[in-house]
Amino acid sequence: MPHAWLCSPILSQLNSGVIVVDDEYQIHYLNSFIERHASLQLSEVQGKSLFSVFADLPEAWLKRKLMSVLDLNTPAFSSWEQRQYIFKLPHLRPITSSSQYMAQNCSMLPLTAEHTEQPLICILIEDATDAFVYQQHLSKTLIELERANRQDGLTKVLNRRYWEEQLKQEIHRAQRYQHSLSMILFDLDKFKDLNDKYGHLGGDFVLIQLASFIGSLLRDSDLFGRYGGEEFGIILPDTALEGAVEVAERICQAVAEYPMLFNQQTIRASISMGVAELLPKQHLLHDDLIRCADMALYNAKRAGRNRVCSYLAGETEYQKKVN
Amino acid sequence: MSTLGFSEEQRDCLQEIINVAMGLASDKLARFLNTFVHLQVPSIALVGASHIPAEFENRYQDTEAALVSQGFFGNEGVRGEAIVLYQMENAHKISALLGYEVGDVSEIEMLTDISSILTTTFLNGLADQIENSLSYSAPRVLSSAKGDISSLLKNTSFHWEHALKVDISYQLIDHSFNCDMILLIPGEAVTNIQRILDRILEEY
Repeated sequence: MPHAWLCSPILSQLNSGVIVVDDEYQIHYLNSFIERHASLQLSEVQGKSLFSVFADLPEAWLKRKLMSVLDLNTPAFSSWEQRQYIFKLPHLRPITSSSQYMAQNCSMLPLTAEHTEQPLICILIEDATDAFVYQQHLSKTLIELERANRQDGLTKVLNRRYWEEQLKQEIHRAQRYQHSLSMILFDLDKFKDLNDKYGHLGGDFVLIQLASFIGSLLRDSDLFGRYGGEEFGIILPDTALEGAVEVAERICQAVAEYPMLFNQQTIRASISMGVAELLPKQHLLHDDLIRCADMALYNAKRAGRNRVCSYLAGETEYQKKVN
Repeated sequence: MSTLGFSEEQRDCLQEIINVAMGLASDKLARFLNTFVHLQVPSIALVGASHIPAEFENRYQDTEAALVSQGFFGNEGVRGEAIVLYQMENAHKISALLGYEVGDVSEIEMLTDISSILTTTFLNGLADQIENSLSYSAPRVLSSAKGDISSLLKNTSFHWEHALKVDISYQLIDHSFNCDMILLIPGEAVTNIQRILDRILEEY
């Protein structure tokens, strides 16, 4: 081979690890990449067992892989996605990567050497730390994206689409397991006046403050979402009407007593609330339950606001809304 | 299209080479896996790129399937992609087949391992006969969820018009395990294969 001299400098410059072992796992060769990363000298480890030199190797697993290379004379592979690393080596991004060891793609290749009858295996180790880091960024971004997709941008409670989806699921669950389920719809009283007096920033501030305050009064299992402008909904799983009314009364009172400081002015707000319990025979669709809670909410408005009304079957017709 | 047509001699020659490679592979696999490996006579066809998704879809609709891809390339412009398809209920049998302990390795790793073994054993045998040698990319699991296969393939833009398709069905008797391997040799590489076949035919 006229270019045989190239092999040695290339192997020593190569940014991948090369280890050659025989069928008894004795090390015949390793290149500078491995020498440097593992702080070894070829002269010191030549002829020693791979598993004594690299004591942390998954021995049974690796032996099975190497055996298939020898028996079938075919390559075997290992990806960082399944096994982040095989050889515990430091990587070249100690500052900008969160992983401690070099993520690796390994190929185990059968070698045919001219000078020996003994079968050899070349273990090629490629640094996949970059891919590992990208993948981590991607996973994090996907989680954030999923959260953003469920959240209302202003108030950080559930957005309407996701909240309605949850309502459908909760109704389905309640019907299947014959659990009770209630719902509260509430609306900020005279929100238009708040906006006129404090400006839209003031109005937004009130929505954000109240959403966070009311959220803190709920159980973990309750589902709190923004239904529209100043209208919100709370799904209360495993809760009958009586319990839901109790929760609503508590929230209604707490909101009325909750002062909010905006631009050195104290804003006080109140809410009107409608409560409805799922009646399996009457509420076939989630819209039916929302409609009932909305009727109760309307009655609370009409009765003077800052109060809780519950929906009772056979109640008066739903009329045009007032603010 | 006409330039891609196979003559009868070329076709017979290729079928013969593939049959021999299959015999070699099944012998090696049987000894390695300690089980009798049954391979059906592979079918060879020249297919249009647009037909590929529908074909996969038909074969694996309604089942949870996994698809593992591994690229290969050799001298004289021989290159292509081997795709191994499993029904997921079959994939669970692989650990016993490969002698893995339960919980030792992930299902994905078992899939890539067995795919790589099946693919490279067969293709090495094929390469030997045409005096070639092949290199392989690491196997990748493309999908392992229900309904994914067809949507995945629909989104794949095939950068070739026609491909030589070789269908091989593996059956491991003792483990009632089976899977399908599909070799796709696209576009230009088909012409290169034809050139090699012509050379072999001349030598005889």
